[in-house]
Amino acid sequence: MSLFDIFKKKKSKDVAKDRLMMMLAYERAHTKIENLDEMKKELIEVVKKYLKVKDIEIKTTSNQNLETLEVEIILDK
Amino acid sequence: MAEVITITSGKGGVGKSTTTANIATALAMLGKKVIAVDFDIGLRNLDMILGLENRIVYDVVDVMEGRCNLAQAIIKDKRTPNLHFLPASQTKDKTVLDKDKVEKLINDLKKEFDYILIDSPAGIESGFEHSIYLADRALIVTTPEISSVRDADRVIGIIDAKSKKAQMGEEVQKHIIINRLKPELVEKGEMLSVEDVLHILALPLIGIVPDDEDIVKSTNLGEPIALKEDSLVGEAFRRIARRILGEKVEFLDLKAKKSFFEKLKGLFK
Repeated sequence: MSLFDIFKKKKSKDVAKDRLMMMLAYERAHTKIENLDEMKKELIEVVKKYLKVKDIEIKTTSNQNLETLEVEIILDK
Repeated sequence: MAEVITITSGKGGVGKSTTTANIATALAMLGKKVIAVDFDIGLRNLDMILGLENRIVYDVVDVMEGRCNLAQAIIKDKRTPNLHFLPASQTKDKTVLDKDKVEKLINDLKKEFDYILIDSPAGIESGFEHSIYLADRALIVTTPEISSVRDADRVIGIIDAKSKKAQMGEEVQKHIIINRLKPELVEKGEMLSVEDVLHILALPLIGIVPDDEDIVKSTNLGEPIALKEDSLVGEAFRRIARRILGEKVEFLDLKAKKSFFEKLKGLFK
């Protein structure tokens, strides 16, 4: 890299790549479950039968090879 | 054993039908018995790219509904021996396809052909689901543009969920075709490169097709460019066909054509 390169603007394809990766990180995590809210409600109903539940949090993470679903149940004290 | 290959994208207009027509042609040129099936119900266009639009009597829905038999609907390409075509229906009812009927059709075709290439409709609705359901392999076509890559990613994410093979615990092979690459723009840093796209989609590459004005001409004439021996794009498609057959073929070396001025500039670097 020469001194001159420091003043160069970021190439448009780098901007495109950054935007894409941001977007996809979000979309990959959110599009796997279509009815997330519905599932959440049903889960709460089931767990409620046995425990006092405050809230349920569901997180999804994925890349092309692995998908995980994290369910965190917050109990009422 | 016959192989079912679905050509899909996500975004429309990225060159799925052109890709289907040319890979089908190239496979037929290699001596394989091939049929290209247009699953884009309501919006035919593979027929025109193949130059077979005047020979259509029956279509894929006629076969499935029993209005004709399979042999009556299949069109044999006279220029390319081994190449066959089954046109899409122009019915407005997109929901006309039915899973069992699609399965019967594909199984019947498997008895007759080495390769069944399905041109999938754009989008991720029922038409896409039918075209991917029985696929052994999916070729995902994308251009090096953000919207196209983004939609390709979405499609890749649902292929396994919609595939019978994946449901049975087997794997659907997935490969990327990068279409309409402009080497000059990539070199200037103004277009996503092959490496960029592959890094994002994380799937193996099966073809790089450069952008070429000759494609327009070949579509106008209804003559797939894979037939043109001296065409670079044609060569790109012919190499994809060889890779489908399992051959290890190098990717085309796509360097930007330099103008005299740029060459001169290069001397002083």
